[in-house]
Amino acid sequence: MKRKAGELLIIILFYVLQITLGRAISIGGIMPNLLVILPVVFGYLNGKNEGMFVGFFAGLLYDLSASSLLGFSALVFVYIGYLAGIFYRRYEGSEMIIPLVIIFAGDFIFEFLSYVGNFLLHNRLNLIYFITRFIIPEMIYTGIVFVLLYKLFLWLNPHLEVRNKRRVNNFDERNI
Amino acid sequence: MRKKFSEFFSSKYILIAVSALCVIFIATSFFTDRLVTPLKNVVSAVVVPLQKGMNYIGLWATDGYDRLQEVSRLLDENEKLNEQVNSLTEENNRLKQDTYELDRLRELYELDAKYADYPKTGARIIGTSSDNWYSTFTIDKGSDDGMEVDMNVIAGGGLVGIITEVGKNYSVVKSIIEDGSYASAQLIDTGDVCTVSGDIELMDEGLIHVQYFKSGITVRNGDKIVTSNISEKYLPGILIGYAKDVTTDANNLTQSGYLVPAVDFEHLQEVLVITQKKEAKEAIE
Repeated sequence: MKRKAGELLIIILFYVLQITLGRAISIGGIMPNLLVILPVVFGYLNGKNEGMFVGFFAGLLYDLSASSLLGFSALVFVYIGYLAGIFYRRYEGSEMIIPLVIIFAGDFIFEFLSYVGNFLLHNRLNLIYFITRFIIPEMIYTGIVFVLLYKLFLWLNPHLEVRNKRRVNNFDERNI
Repeated sequence: MRKKFSEFFSSKYILIAVSALCVIFIATSFFTDRLVTPLKNVVSAVVVPLQKGMNYIGLWATDGYDRLQEVSRLLDENEKLNEQVNSLTEENNRLKQDTYELDRLRELYELDAKYADYPKTGARIIGTSSDNWYSTFTIDKGSDDGMEVDMNVIAGGGLVGIITEVGKNYSVVKSIIEDGSYASAQLIDTGDVCTVSGDIELMDEGLIHVQYFKSGITVRNGDKIVTSNISEKYLPGILIGYAKDVTTDANNLTQSGYLVPAVDFEHLQEVLVITQKKEAKEAIE
Protein backbone atom coordinates (compact mmCIF):
# COMPACT_ATOMS: atom_id res chain seq x y z
CA MET A 1 0.00 0.00 0.00
CA LYS A 2 2.83 2.36 0.90
CA ARG A 3 4.42 1.47 -2.37
CA LYS A 4 1.31 2.59 -4.22
CA ALA A 5 1.27 5.83 -2.25
CA GLY A 6 4.90 6.41 -3.20
CA GLU A 7 4.10 5.80 -6.84
CA LEU A 8 1.18 8.21 -6.70
CA LEU A 9 3.49 10.85 -5.23
CA ILE A 10 5.95 10.32 -8.07
CA ILE A 11 3.13 10.59 -10.60
CA ILE A 12 1.93 13.87 -9.10
CA LEU A 13 5.50 15.19 -9.02
CA PHE A 14 6.02 14.34 -12.69
CA TYR A 15 2.66 15.83 -13.58
CA VAL A 16 3.51 19.11 -11.87
CA LEU A 17 6.92 19.12 -13.56
CA GLN A 18 5.27 18.47 -16.92
CA ILE A 19 2.82 21.35 -16.73
CA THR A 20 5.09 23.91 -15.07
CA LEU A 21 8.60 23.12 -16.26
CA GLY A 22 7.44 21.64 -19.56
CA ARG A 23 7.39 24.90 -21.51
CA ALA A 24 10.66 26.03 -19.96
CA ILE A 25 12.59 23.00 -21.16
CA SER A 26 10.80 22.71 -24.48
CA ILE A 27 12.97 22.74 -27.60
CA GLY A 28 11.38 24.25 -30.67
CA GLY A 29 8.02 24.22 -28.94
CA ILE A 30 8.24 20.51 -28.22
CA MET A 31 8.29 19.30 -24.64
CA PRO A 32 9.05 15.76 -23.53
CA ASN A 33 6.19 13.56 -22.40
CA LEU A 34 7.35 12.89 -18.85
CA LEU A 35 4.26 10.97 -17.80
CA VAL A 36 4.60 8.24 -20.42
CA ILE A 37 7.94 7.29 -18.89
CA LEU A 38 6.35 6.19 -15.60
CA PRO A 39 4.19 3.22 -16.68
CA VAL A 40 7.08 1.88 -18.75
CA VAL A 41 9.58 2.11 -15.90
CA PHE A 42 7.31 0.66 -13.24
CA GLY A 43 5.90 -1.98 -15.54
CA TYR A 44 9.37 -3.07 -16.56
CA LEU A 45 10.75 -3.12 -13.03
CA ASN A 46 7.73 -4.42 -11.11
CA GLY A 47 5.41 -6.27 -13.45
CA LYS A 48 2.19 -5.77 -15.34
CA ASN A 49 -0.05 -4.85 -12.44
CA GLU A 50 2.21 -2.04 -11.30
CA GLY A 51 2.57 -0.84 -14.86
CA MET A 52 -1.18 -0.73 -15.33
CA PHE A 53 -1.73 0.98 -11.96
CA VAL A 54 0.82 3.69 -12.71
CA GLY A 55 -0.37 3.98 -16.31
CA PHE A 56 -3.96 4.50 -15.28
CA PHE A 57 -3.28 7.31 -12.83
CA ALA A 58 -0.59 8.98 -14.93
CA GLY A 59 -2.93 8.91 -17.93
CA LEU A 60 -5.85 10.23 -15.92
CA LEU A 61 -3.78 13.20 -14.75
CA TYR A 62 -2.48 13.75 -18.26
CA ASP A 63 -6.06 13.89 -19.53
CA LEU A 64 -7.12 16.40 -16.91
CA SER A 65 -4.73 19.05 -18.21
CA ALA A 66 -4.70 18.13 -21.88
CA SER A 67 -7.53 19.18 -24.14
CA SER A 68 -8.68 15.69 -24.93
CA LEU A 69 -11.30 13.24 -23.75
CA LEU A 70 -10.96 12.05 -20.19
CA GLY A 71 -9.80 8.45 -20.13
CA PHE A 72 -8.12 8.36 -23.52
CA SER A 73 -4.55 8.75 -22.28
CA ALA A 74 -5.38 6.53 -19.31
CA LEU A 75 -6.45 3.78 -21.70
CA VAL A 76 -3.32 4.03 -23.83
CA PHE A 77 -1.01 4.37 -20.80
CA VAL A 78 -2.54 1.27 -19.22
CA TYR A 79 -1.71 -0.72 -22.33
CA ILE A 80 1.80 0.74 -22.41
CA GLY A 81 2.26 -0.30 -18.78
CA TYR A 82 0.98 -3.78 -19.55
CA LEU A 83 3.29 -4.06 -22.55
CA ALA A 84 6.26 -3.04 -20.42
CA GLY A 85 5.19 -5.56 -17.77
CA ILE A 86 5.52 -8.39 -20.26
CA PHE A 87 9.29 -7.89 -20.15
CA TYR A 88 9.35 -7.90 -16.34
CA ARG A 89 12.24 -10.09 -15.12
CA ARG A 90 13.01 -11.24 -18.64
CA TYR A 91 16.04 -8.99 -18.68
CA GLU A 92 18.35 -7.36 -16.15
CA GLY A 93 16.76 -4.34 -14.53
CA SER A 94 19.69 -2.21 -15.62
CA GLU A 95 19.15 -3.14 -19.27
CA MET A 96 18.06 0.18 -20.73
CA ILE A 97 17.32 -0.69 -24.34
CA ILE A 98 14.08 -2.61 -23.79
CA PRO A 99 12.23 0.11 -21.87
CA LEU A 100 13.65 2.71 -24.24
CA VAL A 101 12.18 0.89 -27.22
CA ILE A 102 8.85 0.56 -25.39
CA ILE A 103 8.87 4.28 -24.70
CA PHE A 104 9.55 5.07 -28.34
CA ALA A 105 6.81 2.73 -29.51
CA GLY A 106 4.35 3.74 -26.80
CA ASP A 107 4.83 7.46 -27.25
CA PHE A 108 4.55 7.15 -31.01
CA ILE A 109 1.31 5.19 -30.80
CA PHE A 110 -0.10 7.52 -28.16
CA GLU A 111 0.73 10.71 -30.06
CA PHE A 112 -0.39 9.23 -33.34
CA LEU A 113 -3.76 8.34 -31.86
CA SER A 114 -4.11 11.84 -30.42
CA TYR A 115 -3.23 13.25 -33.83
CA VAL A 116 -5.97 11.15 -35.38
CA GLY A 117 -8.50 12.26 -32.78
CA ASN A 118 -7.55 15.92 -32.66
CA PHE A 119 -6.60 16.69 -36.24
CA LEU A 120 -7.06 13.93 -38.79
CA LEU A 121 -10.77 13.69 -38.03
CA HIS A 122 -10.98 17.47 -38.51
CA ASN A 123 -9.71 17.12 -42.05
CA ARG A 124 -6.09 17.99 -41.27
CA LEU A 125 -4.42 15.49 -43.56
CA ASN A 126 -0.86 16.79 -43.49
CA LEU A 127 0.32 13.56 -41.85
CA ILE A 128 4.02 13.90 -42.66
CA TYR A 129 4.18 17.38 -41.19
CA PHE A 130 2.59 16.33 -37.94
CA ILE A 131 4.75 13.25 -37.59
CA THR A 132 8.05 14.96 -38.37
CA ARG A 133 7.34 18.22 -36.58
CA PHE A 134 5.61 16.94 -33.45
CA ILE A 135 5.59 13.21 -32.90
CA ILE A 136 9.17 12.21 -33.71
CA PRO A 137 10.81 15.13 -31.86
CA GLU A 138 8.69 14.37 -28.81
CA MET A 139 9.64 10.68 -28.97
CA ILE A 140 13.33 11.48 -29.12
CA TYR A 141 13.18 14.11 -26.41
CA THR A 142 11.22 11.77 -24.15
CA GLY A 143 13.76 9.02 -24.82
CA ILE A 144 16.63 11.31 -23.84
CA VAL A 145 14.90 12.34 -20.63
CA PHE A 146 14.26 8.66 -19.87
CA VAL A 147 17.92 7.77 -20.34
CA LEU A 148 18.91 10.61 -18.01
CA LEU A 149 16.40 9.61 -15.35
CA TYR A 150 16.63 5.82 -15.52
CA LYS A 151 19.45 5.47 -12.98
CA LEU A 152 17.37 7.52 -10.57
CA PHE A 153 14.44 5.15 -11.02
CA LEU A 154 16.64 2.11 -10.51
CA TRP A 155 17.82 3.61 -7.24
CA LEU A 156 14.34 4.73 -6.20
CA ASN A 157 12.46 1.54 -7.00
CA PRO A 158 13.76 -0.66 -4.11
CA HIS A 159 13.45 2.32 -1.76
CA LEU A 160 9.72 2.42 -2.33
CA GLU A 161 9.70 -1.15 -1.07
CA VAL A 162 11.81 -0.58 2.05
CA ARG A 163 9.03 1.16 3.90
CA ASN A 164 6.95 -2.01 3.64
CA LYS A 165 8.53 -4.29 6.22
CA ARG A 166 6.81 -7.54 5.35
CA ARG A 167 8.04 -7.39 1.81
CA VAL A 168 11.57 -6.65 2.92
CA ASN A 169 11.54 -9.80 5.06
CA ASN A 170 10.34 -11.90 2.18
CA PHE A 171 12.96 -10.41 0.01
CA ASP A 172 15.73 -11.22 2.51
CA GLU A 173 14.62 -14.80 2.99
CA ARG A 174 14.65 -15.46 -0.65
CA ASN A 175 18.10 -14.00 -1.00
CA ILE A 176 19.54 -16.06 1.83
CA MET B 1 3.93 -22.79 -12.29
CA ARG B 2 0.39 -22.68 -11.03
CA LYS B 3 1.04 -19.35 -9.35
CA LYS B 4 2.49 -17.91 -12.49
CA PHE B 5 -0.52 -19.07 -14.43
CA SER B 6 -3.00 -17.41 -12.11
CA GLU B 7 -0.91 -14.26 -12.00
CA PHE B 8 -0.96 -14.06 -15.74
CA PHE B 9 -4.70 -14.37 -15.79
CA SER B 10 -5.37 -11.94 -13.00
CA SER B 11 -3.39 -9.14 -14.66
CA LYS B 12 -5.15 -9.89 -17.91
CA TYR B 13 -8.51 -9.52 -16.23
CA ILE B 14 -7.37 -6.32 -14.58
CA LEU B 15 -6.37 -5.02 -17.99
CA ILE B 16 -9.81 -5.79 -19.38
CA ALA B 17 -11.55 -4.22 -16.38
CA VAL B 18 -9.44 -1.07 -16.50
CA SER B 19 -9.91 -0.78 -20.27
CA ALA B 20 -13.66 -1.00 -19.80
CA LEU B 21 -13.47 1.67 -17.11
CA CYS B 22 -11.49 3.95 -19.42
CA VAL B 23 -13.94 3.41 -22.25
CA ILE B 24 -16.77 4.37 -19.90
CA PHE B 25 -14.83 7.50 -18.93
CA ILE B 26 -14.29 8.40 -22.58
CA ALA B 27 -17.92 7.80 -23.46
CA THR B 28 -19.14 9.86 -20.51
CA SER B 29 -16.79 12.77 -21.05
CA PHE B 30 -17.78 12.82 -24.70
CA PHE B 31 -21.28 13.86 -23.73
CA THR B 32 -21.05 15.60 -20.38
CA ASP B 33 -18.64 17.35 -18.03
CA ARG B 34 -20.30 15.97 -14.92
CA LEU B 35 -17.63 13.33 -14.44
CA VAL B 36 -14.70 15.57 -15.29
CA THR B 37 -15.51 18.58 -13.14
CA PRO B 38 -15.46 16.94 -9.69
CA LEU B 39 -12.34 14.97 -10.62
CA LYS B 40 -10.63 18.14 -11.77
CA ASN B 41 -11.62 19.94 -8.60
CA VAL B 42 -10.14 17.19 -6.44
CA VAL B 43 -6.92 17.12 -8.43
CA SER B 44 -6.61 20.89 -8.63
CA ALA B 45 -7.02 21.19 -4.85
CA VAL B 46 -3.84 19.12 -4.54
CA VAL B 47 -1.93 20.21 -7.58
CA VAL B 48 -2.55 23.95 -7.91
CA PRO B 49 -0.72 24.88 -4.68
CA LEU B 50 2.18 22.73 -5.89
CA GLN B 51 2.09 24.48 -9.24
CA LYS B 52 2.15 27.88 -7.57
CA GLY B 53 5.12 26.76 -5.49
CA MET B 54 6.98 25.49 -8.55
CA ASN B 55 6.21 28.72 -10.32
CA TYR B 56 7.65 30.82 -7.49
CA ILE B 57 10.73 28.62 -7.33
CA GLY B 58 11.23 29.04 -11.07
CA LEU B 59 10.77 32.80 -10.92
CA TRP B 60 13.09 33.05 -7.93
CA ALA B 61 15.76 31.00 -9.70
CA THR B 62 15.62 32.99 -12.92
CA ASP B 63 15.55 36.20 -10.90
CA GLY B 64 18.71 35.26 -9.04
CA TYR B 65 20.46 34.18 -12.21
CA ASP B 66 19.49 37.32 -14.06
CA ARG B 67 20.55 39.51 -11.19
CA LEU B 68 24.05 38.05 -11.10
CA GLN B 69 24.42 38.43 -14.83
CA GLU B 70 23.13 41.91 -15.09
CA VAL B 71 24.74 43.81 -12.24
CA SER B 72 27.68 45.04 -14.29
CA ARG B 73 25.57 45.77 -17.31
CA LEU B 74 23.15 47.72 -15.16
CA LEU B 75 25.88 50.00 -13.83
CA ASP B 76 26.76 51.07 -17.35
CA GLU B 77 23.17 51.39 -18.26
CA ASN B 78 22.41 53.50 -15.23
CA GLU B 79 24.65 56.29 -16.49
CA LYS B 80 23.04 56.30 -19.88
CA LEU B 81 19.60 56.18 -18.35
CA ASN B 82 20.29 59.17 -16.17
CA GLU B 83 21.01 61.17 -19.26
CA GLN B 84 17.87 59.83 -20.83
CA VAL B 85 15.79 60.77 -17.79
CA ASN B 86 16.65 64.39 -18.30
CA SER B 87 15.65 64.43 -21.91
CA LEU B 88 12.56 62.38 -21.22
CA THR B 89 11.38 64.72 -18.49
CA GLU B 90 11.36 67.43 -21.02
CA GLU B 91 9.56 65.26 -23.53
CA ASN B 92 7.08 64.15 -20.88
CA ASN B 93 6.00 67.68 -20.24
CA ARG B 94 5.33 68.10 -23.90
CA LEU B 95 3.42 64.80 -24.08
CA LYS B 96 1.28 65.70 -21.08
CA GLN B 97 -0.05 68.59 -23.03
CA ASP B 98 -0.81 66.20 -25.87
CA THR B 99 -2.63 63.90 -23.46
CA TYR B 100 -4.98 66.64 -22.38
CA GLU B 101 -5.74 67.24 -25.99
CA LEU B 102 -6.25 63.51 -26.59
CA ASP B 103 -8.64 63.22 -23.67
CA ARG B 104 -10.68 66.05 -25.02
CA LEU B 105 -10.74 64.48 -28.48
CA ARG B 106 -11.74 61.08 -27.08
CA GLU B 107 -14.71 62.57 -25.34
CA LEU B 108 -15.51 64.27 -28.56
CA TYR B 109 -15.53 61.01 -30.49
CA GLU B 110 -17.16 59.07 -27.68
CA LEU B 111 -14.47 56.45 -27.52
CA ASP B 112 -15.51 55.42 -24.02
CA ALA B 113 -15.76 51.80 -25.05
CA LYS B 114 -12.05 51.56 -25.65
CA TYR B 115 -10.73 48.60 -23.75
CA ALA B 116 -8.58 50.68 -21.46
CA ASP B 117 -11.78 51.20 -19.53
CA TYR B 118 -12.83 47.58 -19.05
CA PRO B 119 -12.54 46.32 -15.47
CA LYS B 120 -9.56 44.00 -15.31
CA THR B 121 -7.80 41.78 -12.85
CA GLY B 122 -4.28 40.40 -13.05
CA ALA B 123 -3.47 36.69 -12.95
CA ARG B 124 -0.32 34.63 -13.13
CA ILE B 125 0.19 31.71 -15.48
CA ILE B 126 0.93 28.60 -13.43
CA GLY B 127 0.73 25.76 -15.94
CA THR B 128 0.39 24.76 -19.54
CA SER B 129 -1.35 21.98 -21.37
CA SER B 130 0.49 18.70 -20.87
CA ASP B 131 0.53 17.82 -24.57
CA ASN B 132 2.31 19.49 -27.45
CA TRP B 133 -0.78 19.91 -29.62
CA TYR B 134 -2.48 22.73 -27.77
CA SER B 135 -1.42 26.01 -26.23
CA THR B 136 -3.99 26.32 -23.50
CA PHE B 137 -2.66 27.42 -20.15
CA THR B 138 -3.79 27.58 -16.55
CA ILE B 139 -3.97 30.77 -14.49
CA ASP B 140 -4.02 31.00 -10.71
CA LYS B 141 -7.47 32.52 -10.30
CA GLY B 142 -10.74 30.62 -10.33
CA SER B 143 -14.38 30.95 -9.41
CA ASP B 144 -13.34 32.03 -5.90
CA ASP B 145 -11.81 35.15 -7.44
CA GLY B 146 -14.83 35.83 -9.65
CA MET B 147 -13.57 34.26 -12.85
CA GLU B 148 -16.21 33.00 -15.27
CA VAL B 149 -16.21 31.11 -18.53
CA ASP B 150 -16.01 33.35 -21.65
CA MET B 151 -14.14 36.17 -19.96
CA ASN B 152 -11.56 37.73 -22.30
CA VAL B 153 -7.88 37.56 -21.45
CA ILE B 154 -5.37 40.18 -22.60
CA ALA B 155 -1.69 40.88 -22.04
CA GLY B 156 0.69 43.56 -23.21
CA GLY B 157 -2.14 45.42 -24.92
CA GLY B 158 -3.25 42.54 -27.11
CA LEU B 159 -5.77 39.75 -27.01
CA VAL B 160 -4.48 36.47 -25.54
CA GLY B 161 -7.59 34.33 -25.52
CA ILE B 162 -10.68 33.40 -23.62
CA ILE B 163 -11.45 31.43 -20.46
CA THR B 164 -12.94 28.08 -21.35
CA GLU B 165 -13.04 26.39 -17.99
CA VAL B 166 -13.18 27.55 -14.40
CA GLY B 167 -12.34 25.58 -11.28
CA LYS B 168 -12.33 26.71 -7.68
CA ASN B 169 -8.77 27.99 -7.66
CA TYR B 170 -7.74 27.91 -11.31
CA SER B 171 -9.03 28.71 -14.79
CA VAL B 172 -8.04 27.42 -18.18
CA VAL B 173 -7.41 29.91 -20.97
CA LYS B 174 -7.65 28.94 -24.62
CA SER B 175 -5.34 31.18 -26.62
CA ILE B 176 -6.15 32.61 -30.04
CA ILE B 177 -3.10 30.96 -31.62
CA GLU B 178 -4.38 27.53 -30.71
CA ASP B 179 -5.56 25.23 -33.45
CA GLY B 180 -9.32 25.36 -33.81
CA SER B 181 -9.71 28.71 -32.08
CA TYR B 182 -11.78 31.27 -33.98
CA ALA B 183 -12.50 34.95 -33.39
CA SER B 184 -14.50 37.45 -35.35
CA ALA B 185 -12.38 40.52 -36.09
CA GLN B 186 -12.25 43.73 -38.10
CA LEU B 187 -9.80 46.24 -39.49
CA ILE B 188 -9.46 49.06 -37.01
CA ASP B 189 -9.73 51.88 -39.53
CA THR B 190 -12.34 50.72 -42.02
CA GLY B 191 -14.28 48.19 -39.94
CA ASP B 192 -14.09 45.49 -42.61
CA VAL B 193 -14.95 42.19 -40.98
CA CYS B 194 -12.81 39.05 -41.10
CA THR B 195 -12.21 35.87 -39.13
CA VAL B 196 -9.05 35.09 -37.21
CA SER B 197 -8.21 31.43 -36.62
CA GLY B 198 -5.27 29.66 -35.03
CA ASP B 199 -3.33 26.97 -36.87
CA ILE B 200 -0.78 24.61 -35.42
CA GLU B 201 1.01 24.32 -38.77
CA LEU B 202 1.93 28.02 -38.58
CA MET B 203 3.40 27.64 -35.10
CA ASP B 204 7.00 27.96 -36.25
CA GLU B 205 6.35 31.25 -38.04
CA GLY B 206 4.44 32.61 -35.05
CA LEU B 207 1.51 33.59 -37.26
CA ILE B 208 -2.19 32.82 -37.38
CA HIS B 209 -4.71 32.87 -40.22
CA VAL B 210 -6.93 35.78 -41.10
CA GLN B 211 -9.69 34.95 -43.55
CA TYR B 212 -12.88 36.10 -45.25
CA PHE B 213 -12.03 39.69 -46.03
CA LYS B 214 -14.27 40.98 -48.83
CA SER B 215 -12.50 41.04 -52.16
CA GLY B 216 -12.89 44.75 -52.89
CA ILE B 217 -10.90 46.15 -50.02
CA THR B 218 -7.19 46.75 -49.65
CA VAL B 219 -5.38 45.34 -46.64
CA ARG B 220 -1.80 46.47 -46.21
CA ASN B 221 0.89 44.75 -44.18
CA GLY B 222 0.85 46.08 -40.64
CA ASP B 223 -2.82 47.09 -40.63
CA LYS B 224 -4.22 46.73 -37.14
CA ILE B 225 -6.86 44.06 -36.63
CA VAL B 226 -9.12 44.23 -33.57
CA THR B 227 -11.98 42.14 -32.23
CA SER B 228 -15.22 43.05 -33.93
CA ASN B 229 -18.53 44.33 -32.65
CA ILE B 230 -20.38 41.31 -33.95
CA SER B 231 -18.23 38.76 -32.12
CA GLU B 232 -20.27 36.65 -29.76
CA LYS B 233 -17.78 36.30 -26.95
CA TYR B 234 -15.03 38.85 -27.50
CA LEU B 235 -15.47 42.42 -26.37
CA PRO B 236 -15.09 44.88 -29.27
CA GLY B 237 -11.96 46.87 -29.96
CA ILE B 238 -9.28 44.66 -28.42
CA LEU B 239 -6.12 44.58 -30.53
CA ILE B 240 -5.39 41.11 -31.91
CA GLY B 241 -2.44 41.85 -34.15
CA TYR B 242 -1.19 43.10 -37.47
CA ALA B 243 -2.13 41.90 -40.95
CA LYS B 244 0.49 40.27 -43.15
CA ASP B 245 0.43 39.14 -46.79
CA VAL B 246 -3.31 39.36 -47.39
CA THR B 247 -4.09 38.17 -50.92
CA THR B 248 -7.17 37.32 -52.92
CA ASP B 249 -8.36 33.74 -52.64
CA ALA B 250 -8.80 31.41 -55.58
CA ASN B 251 -12.55 31.96 -55.51
CA ASN B 252 -12.06 35.71 -56.17
CA LEU B 253 -14.71 36.53 -53.58
CA THR B 254 -12.68 36.66 -50.40
CA GLN B 255 -9.19 37.57 -49.30
CA SER B 256 -7.09 35.87 -46.73
CA GLY B 257 -3.62 36.03 -45.28
CA TYR B 258 -1.76 35.98 -42.01
CA LEU B 259 -1.80 37.90 -38.79
CA VAL B 260 1.13 38.64 -36.49
CA PRO B 261 -0.27 38.50 -32.93
CA ALA B 262 0.34 41.57 -30.79
CA VAL B 263 1.15 39.35 -27.81
CA ASP B 264 4.42 37.47 -27.40
CA PHE B 265 2.99 34.07 -26.54
CA GLU B 266 6.42 32.54 -25.95
CA HIS B 267 7.23 34.64 -22.93
CA LEU B 268 3.86 35.14 -21.34
CA GLN B 269 3.95 35.19 -17.53
CA GLU B 270 1.15 37.41 -16.37
CA VAL B 271 -2.14 38.17 -18.05
CA LEU B 272 -5.07 40.48 -17.42
CA VAL B 273 -8.57 39.05 -17.29
CA ILE B 274 -11.36 41.40 -18.29
CA THR B 275 -14.02 40.69 -15.70
CA GLN B 276 -16.77 42.02 -17.89
CA LYS B 277 -18.42 39.64 -20.30
CA LYS B 278 -19.86 40.45 -23.68
CA GLU B 279 -23.41 39.24 -22.96
CA ALA B 280 -23.47 40.90 -19.55
CA LYS B 281 -22.44 44.15 -21.13
CA GLU B 282 -25.18 43.97 -23.69
CA ALA B 283 -27.74 43.07 -21.04
CA ILE B 284 -26.87 46.23 -19.10
CA GLU B 285 -27.12 48.39 -22.15
